[in-house]
Amino acid sequence: MAYFARRFAFFLGTLWAAVTLNFLIPRLQPGDPAEAIVSRLAGQSESVDPAQLQAIRIMLGAPDGNLFDQYLQYLGAVVQGDFGVSYTYFPYSVTHMIGEALPWTVILVGVTQIISFIVGTLLGTWAAYRRNSRVDSVITLGSTFLGTLPFFWLALLLIYVFAITLRWFPERGGYGGGSSPGWSWIFISDAFQHSVLPAVALLITGPIGWIIGMRNNMVQSLGEDHARLAVARGLPRRRIALTYGARIAILPNVTGFAIALGSVLGGTVLVETVFNYPGMGRLLLESVSSRDYPLMQAIFLFTTVGVLVANFLADLLYGFLDPRVRKAETA
Amino acid sequence: MKRSRLARIAAVAAAVALAASGCTGTEQKSGPGTDGRIAYLDYGDFGGGSNPQANYNPYLDASRLGATEYVFEQLIAYDNYGCQAKPWLATEWTWTNPQTLVWKLRQGVKWNDGKPFSADDVVFTYDMLKQHKALDTKGIWRYLSAVEATDPQTVTMRFTQPGAAAFTLFGEIKIVPKHVWSAVADPVTFPNAEKPVGTGPFTVKAFNPQQLTLGRNADYWQADKVKVDELRFHKADGGGQIDQLKLSRGEYDTNAMFVPDIKKAYVDRDPAHNKYWFPSGGSISVYMNLTKAPFNDTAFRKALVPAFNRQEIVDKAQLGYVKPASQTGLVVPGQAGWLPKDLPNQGVAGYDAARADADLTAAGYPRNGDGKRVGKDGKPIAFSFRVPGAWTDWVQAQRIIVANLTSLGFTVRAETPTPEAYENDRAIGNYDMLLGVHGGSCNMFRNFQEPLASDQSAPIGKKAVSNFVRWNDPRTDQLIDTLRTATDEAAQKTAVADLTKVMTEQVPMIPLWYGAKWFQYRTAKATGWPSEENPYAAPSDNLIIITNLRPTGTNAK
Repeated sequence: MAYFARRFAFFLGTLWAAVTLNFLIPRLQPGDPAEAIVSRLAGQSESVDPAQLQAIRIMLGAPDGNLFDQYLQYLGAVVQGDFGVSYTYFPYSVTHMIGEALPWTVILVGVTQIISFIVGTLLGTWAAYRRNSRVDSVITLGSTFLGTLPFFWLALLLIYVFAITLRWFPERGGYGGGSSPGWSWIFISDAFQHSVLPAVALLITGPIGWIIGMRNNMVQSLGEDHARLAVARGLPRRRIALTYGARIAILPNVTGFAIALGSVLGGTVLVETVFNYPGMGRLLLESVSSRDYPLMQAIFLFTTVGVLVANFLADLLYGFLDPRVRKAETA
Repeated sequence: MKRSRLARIAAVAAAVALAASGCTGTEQKSGPGTDGRIAYLDYGDFGGGSNPQANYNPYLDASRLGATEYVFEQLIAYDNYGCQAKPWLATEWTWTNPQTLVWKLRQGVKWNDGKPFSADDVVFTYDMLKQHKALDTKGIWRYLSAVEATDPQTVTMRFTQPGAAAFTLFGEIKIVPKHVWSAVADPVTFPNAEKPVGTGPFTVKAFNPQQLTLGRNADYWQADKVKVDELRFHKADGGGQIDQLKLSRGEYDTNAMFVPDIKKAYVDRDPAHNKYWFPSGGSISVYMNLTKAPFNDTAFRKALVPAFNRQEIVDKAQLGYVKPASQTGLVVPGQAGWLPKDLPNQGVAGYDAARADADLTAAGYPRNGDGKRVGKDGKPIAFSFRVPGAWTDWVQAQRIIVANLTSLGFTVRAETPTPEAYENDRAIGNYDMLLGVHGGSCNMFRNFQEPLASDQSAPIGKKAVSNFVRWNDPRTDQLIDTLRTATDEAAQKTAVADLTKVMTEQVPMIPLWYGAKWFQYRTAKATGWPSEENPYAAPSDNLIIITNLRPTGTNAK
């Protein structure tokens, strides 16, 4: 029990540090949001209108009080789930904007993460089970090769071949201009069609880490004394591989998987940018480039909290899965 | 049980894929519409960021969608190319004295919900901007003192000082209906998302973050001039590769984006229909920090005017899309009517390194034994020259400028900070030399007041509003004041001509080239777009353009 209590205290401490850093970091960045908005509107080759800058400054308002007062206000607002009004999407609230983007990311990235983990773990197990065979070389070398390809290049290649040349799938966006979001078949099929290319891009590169990790862990655990003893005792190879090798080898990957799921909330900036997908990653990129502090803070907070919660849950799960950890911490 | 559910899911998925591959939304093939109409036109981006939300509040410049340009109208519409005001919601206007402007409103104009438009709406709109400074993005209440409805068709505006200098702003302020907006608790946070009520030629028909569709307003006051039934705006990814590809395929009837090698990438794909016109915008100039030596010496700055190879910058860094800029600060040839008569070549300086060399030596900046240009203190002149590193065309221009200066014996450090650092250093005066933008609008007062008035400047270390070079000259201030209070065009022209002389004789900054306004259009479905041959409006003058478009193949005007 002490193990879980300690994990929880650690979780709370990290959460507080993350929330505080999240408050401080945007305030340490150079640049005035109103200026960023006005120069974006004017573009590179037009002069900025000082009257417009003035009006937008008034619209955004200035934070009240000193830094400590602002910090207290911020903590109070965060506890209530109030993240304020987005600067770029004024007058829409940050909560509204995240509500719009979150489902896209959670479905696309969440589903592909889970598939990647399952496929990666299975392939890694297979490679380790048949280690040094042809299957192993194909899987290991193949994934190493795919892993060296720059992701954006792969994504652009997919767009070029399947969207532009063959025109099988739309080249960007989460859905077409003709349908409107809702629970209609037309929209869902349209959204599905738009999600194919980004999903494929994520699925090509997604399992690689799991494959390599799983294979190496398992090869190692199959070389340990208890596994050799099992071989010596004449247990079936498959049983040794699954119960003595894979079961132990999967443990580090569980933590990794939990963190990966937690970070889904932050979206995948690269994929969403290349495919112009309306998820959290693109929203994050946009909020950073336009100095939309309220939106930026909320997305960072979501991501951090997501990772922390996932990490905490993984720690708990770990305690159940691996008695050694629990014992080591209490001892 | 389990298996049958799986089978059902698979069947549904297959059906979805089939349905999806067969159906691509509402797209339909259409050429020119029947009976001399255009069924629809495809436009480019409609603003509102990467995840646009319904926002038709015409004063929220940062987040409103492009539809507001077609739903709401102003008292006058400005042709921002030729700088001519066209009667719009107002049919005529008179200055009864330099501080009083009387507008006669158009009869028979209706809001798109059927209610009549009247002087009350105009007064309400302007009063709202007075109460809510956050909405007054043009700063009209810097000039106004009161707006009154004299009768239902007449509005009288009073100014704190002679108001002619503010006149162009009336072409930018959209009028909203009193009967809708008076019920709004806070117009600053009002997205006006449901069926926005305006007087304009179009209404919002459908919106999702990928596409915004506007439908023609059949009761529009000049409905006979609007030949387009529907406008479809498509979300872009900021002028990226995909958008360029769609443009080259002819999927946009008009767009406004930067395209490298536009002739090959766009025009040659369909030379009969794909056209472009890039009229000039603001002047992009060498800004020198006038608080530092040697830039504080007029003779030094004047000697530098012919030192830059503007044509090479235009051809190599700007792909030949733009034109070399006039030293006067005005945009030529569009604003040539404002120039003093005796000015050679409309004030555009040629490249003459030998003359720059001789003039610098004569001004007391000779070369030393090593060929280095030395200052009055006898030390070699070294300074930094900054442009934002992310603006690649400016970085290319920077190379040419640095090469020009180096060949004259200066030691120049080329620096490429982030845009934020560049903007901040420019505002607080923490620089030697950099590139800046000024002018380009039809408002002559703004064109000179913003970059040159001493009240737009600030001490080094404090943020200047817009006078980043920190030009501080009583005579310039006086001319700007004359321009602001000038009551007629003749008086304005005299003041502007004198200000262009300040630019050419005292050289507060050195204009190099004009920024371009990107504009591509296709004549497959519609003709009558503004062009170099027929520059009746700037590409951004949406209301004027939409009332000039005609179906291809008809000559009816």
